[in-house]
Amino acid sequence: MDFESKADATVQDQCTAGMSKKIAVNPLDRDFIEEQAKIFRNAWVPVCHESELPEPYDFRTASIGNENIIICRAPDGKINALLNVCPHRGMLIERRPQGSFLEGQASGNPKRITCMFHAWQFDMRGNCVYVAREKEGYQERFSKDDAGLRRLRCIVNYGGFVWVNMNDQPVSMLEEWAGPALSAIEEQLNSVPLEVVHYHKEYVEHGYKAEALQFLNAEKDGAVFDYGHCTITRNEADVKKQNVSTDFPSPDSKATTKVHLFPGYVFDLSGPVLNVTVVTPVDTNRIMIEHRGLAPQGESKTDRDVRAKYYNLNHGPFRIPATGLQENSENNFLSEHYLDEWSMWMGTHPEGLQRITEKDSADKDSSLEANESITGPHVVVIGASHAGISLADRLRKHGFVGNISIFDKQVGGPMERPPLSKGFLLGGGESVESKSLLRQKKWYKANKVRLKTQSTVHKIDKDEKTITVNNGDVIKYDKLVIASGAVPKELPSSKGIGNAFVLRQPADANAIRQTANNSDSVVIIGGGYIGLEVASSLRKKGMEITVIEAGERILARVASKPLAEHLHKLHVDNGVTVITGVGVESVNQEDGIFHSVTLSDGRVIEGEMLITGIGVYPDSQLASDAGLETQFSNGGAILVNNEMQTSNEDIFAIGDVALRREQNIAVESVHNAQETAAIAAAAITGADSPNIQTPWFWSDQYDAKLQSVGIVPVQDDSVYQVERPGKRDGAVSFWSYRGDELVAVEVVNDPATYMEARQCLDTKRFPDPKQISKPSYSPVDSGGGRS
Amino acid sequence: MKDNSMLDLERKIEKTIYKATLALDENNWSAWFELCDETFTYAITSFSPEINKKMTYFSGDKKELIGLMDMLPKHNTDHSPLHRHTSVYSIDISDDGKSATAVSSVTIYQNMLDGINSHLDSGESRLFVIGKYVDEFSIVNGVPRFTNRETKLDNRRLDKGSHWPL
Repeated sequence: MDFESKADATVQDQCTAGMSKKIAVNPLDRDFIEEQAKIFRNAWVPVCHESELPEPYDFRTASIGNENIIICRAPDGKINALLNVCPHRGMLIERRPQGSFLEGQASGNPKRITCMFHAWQFDMRGNCVYVAREKEGYQERFSKDDAGLRRLRCIVNYGGFVWVNMNDQPVSMLEEWAGPALSAIEEQLNSVPLEVVHYHKEYVEHGYKAEALQFLNAEKDGAVFDYGHCTITRNEADVKKQNVSTDFPSPDSKATTKVHLFPGYVFDLSGPVLNVTVVTPVDTNRIMIEHRGLAPQGESKTDRDVRAKYYNLNHGPFRIPATGLQENSENNFLSEHYLDEWSMWMGTHPEGLQRITEKDSADKDSSLEANESITGPHVVVIGASHAGISLADRLRKHGFVGNISIFDKQVGGPMERPPLSKGFLLGGGESVESKSLLRQKKWYKANKVRLKTQSTVHKIDKDEKTITVNNGDVIKYDKLVIASGAVPKELPSSKGIGNAFVLRQPADANAIRQTANNSDSVVIIGGGYIGLEVASSLRKKGMEITVIEAGERILARVASKPLAEHLHKLHVDNGVTVITGVGVESVNQEDGIFHSVTLSDGRVIEGEMLITGIGVYPDSQLASDAGLETQFSNGGAILVNNEMQTSNEDIFAIGDVALRREQNIAVESVHNAQETAAIAAAAITGADSPNIQTPWFWSDQYDAKLQSVGIVPVQDDSVYQVERPGKRDGAVSFWSYRGDELVAVEVVNDPATYMEARQCLDTKRFPDPKQISKPSYSPVDSGGGRS
Repeated sequence: MKDNSMLDLERKIEKTIYKATLALDENNWSAWFELCDETFTYAITSFSPEINKKMTYFSGDKKELIGLMDMLPKHNTDHSPLHRHTSVYSIDISDDGKSATAVSSVTIYQNMLDGINSHLDSGESRLFVIGKYVDEFSIVNGVPRFTNRETKLDNRRLDKGSHWPL
């Protein structure tokens, strides 16, 4: 161990001991100490604002997880965070809350951080620049170059806040940790330089979790994000009715968003002042809350007074307390999300291994690699898709007692994808993120399923029966299931454009929603279900929509012509421009910003954002590299038998990435994902094969709910449709026949007919095509047709 | 040397400040307002060495304050009484005798009633805040009335407690 390491170790021990005395930590309270170590020393903390140390050599002190820190502005203006403890004897160096090192002090030279005990001196970057009696006392055994204040990870971002992480190797970088949650207000925070104009703190007699839960339980709705964060947004429509600006920093802003960051930081932009509260636990049942009010730098006194008035009424220490009864004290989904995160950090959750320290998580990973904790067979799943999660669920339901590990490249828990192109895009406080989790986190624990997110599998070695993950781990498997799904196709000319999107993952939907909130028009390339659902959702937000479909009609690959015409009219009636039979010649951009497309007939269609929904291709590169048989020599879907087994007997493929040899087209749907997962699970466990249902699909567009059962063979000219009016207004169904054989039914706003149609197809009972158009004819009870 | 009329006026101002203290201790808002001119304004301020700025924590004119007091019964509140110890340090009367300023030291104790656990906390007195009153008066017919009070707190840590004028 070198000197600095020894010094650091001493510092850690002494500092912890010193702080423990100082703030009266009960040493027997293991929860408190564990939380300090596992959560607060690993979380990003907004310790202060850059305006609190505006000039070079200014400093501010703070504490995180029982450690004293100092934040300094270096001569070059850069802000650094350092442990405020001298490496010599572990003494606290700077005791003032704020000040400047520019001028000399009684026991300190100008421009130096000086320890008052033995006069060791440090510069603003923490380098040791003077050790008293260095040569005389230490000879060659030690040099000041070997010492220094421990530098901490420090980033200035999100409105000029100084974020510090005590962990040298944070579990995630700040932008990943806080970015998605703060994205709702990031633009407003960064629109003008801010300064702290109000500061007070209070001690509250309860723990930080109680403080957070009190805040979250008072909210009725919100959106949740990874790492336990959430945003709460008031109904923007209500705000707009008031005909006032919603944009901070306008002094009449009625901004509407509050961001709650785990474990206890709130960025409240619900008015003309940004209020930021930071919780610091003092002991088991006591916290300090710092309140900062921020306003634009250099504004007029009039504007500043308006903000101060608002701030004092709503956030100041003399604000009037809330009236009436407390809001619901029962945990809501926001607080459950918070508690889930807490248990992950504390290692009491199956995903907790990702949230503990880097070192700890590495230890957990290695146990997985060595299979030390694994007894019995190990099923490894690549991709936490509908198919992957369904497979794990089915395995457990079949009584599989071995190990199940799912590796997924995405951040965060696996989510339902269908809502992403529908209600999710409407935003405005919809809590689809939480509600759309494929499985709540407790499911993984209950079913002993290991989920490893942000884990990209780089290689399959089918001879050694191992996979290699991006962190270098090599994982052995007994059975491997590839459920990697599909990747959206992009136009080459739209790649790299800032406001051009595809839609597949939650992150895509988030990005589209954020951009749509600030855009008035969108061009959508592709008249498939994704494109039309996005058009419907964004049209509801009042955007001007143009859908461009190169085929002669929309939904040319997946729906009957009568249904396509019905939906085409529906979109036109709702004010969407639908252009068919014309390709896109070029996507036009300037400085990386999309502004228009040029069509093959020369027309130029302008828009403020571009969304491409022209289909997907199977994500099969990994399988192809491993030598598994695929649809084409250069890729395509992974070919499987009727048990979803690939060309290697220990490797299965399910969902969008797989294609059964007897099929000629891949079916991308939730039903297909679930069915292929069920077949593979049965094959792996030796259970009976599941009953095969007729494929089904659904879509929501405007007020129309489309349900279809069976696959419409759109290329088969012998197939024809019969329209059947529904009993309610707007209800209609289209029955596709080949001769007298019913092959598919598409239903709009008529769930009862859908159930009848499904029953007919599942039981191969074919209603008479000549009678089906009569509403009085019952397809199920008539006895007509054949069975 | 001050003449008797000036000394008398100083005594009246001093007495007015102490009357205000008693009225505020008793939450007798109407008695306090009677000591205030119609143009009265009030503010609680503090200087934060943490952010190097003077801050206003609370402000309002007489009308706003009366409105606030009227609303008090409708709000949840901590009922722990506050007890002010005021010492008038200086009084400066203008040459024309129509206005004056006074600086007083104030220490406010909180006699716990509610607390977190009133079973344990009630009856205990705690130091609540310290600071100064900077008062301005108008003097009409020899009667001083408050036209402005700035309560300059030293505290920046302000826990659960009062939300009315200190």
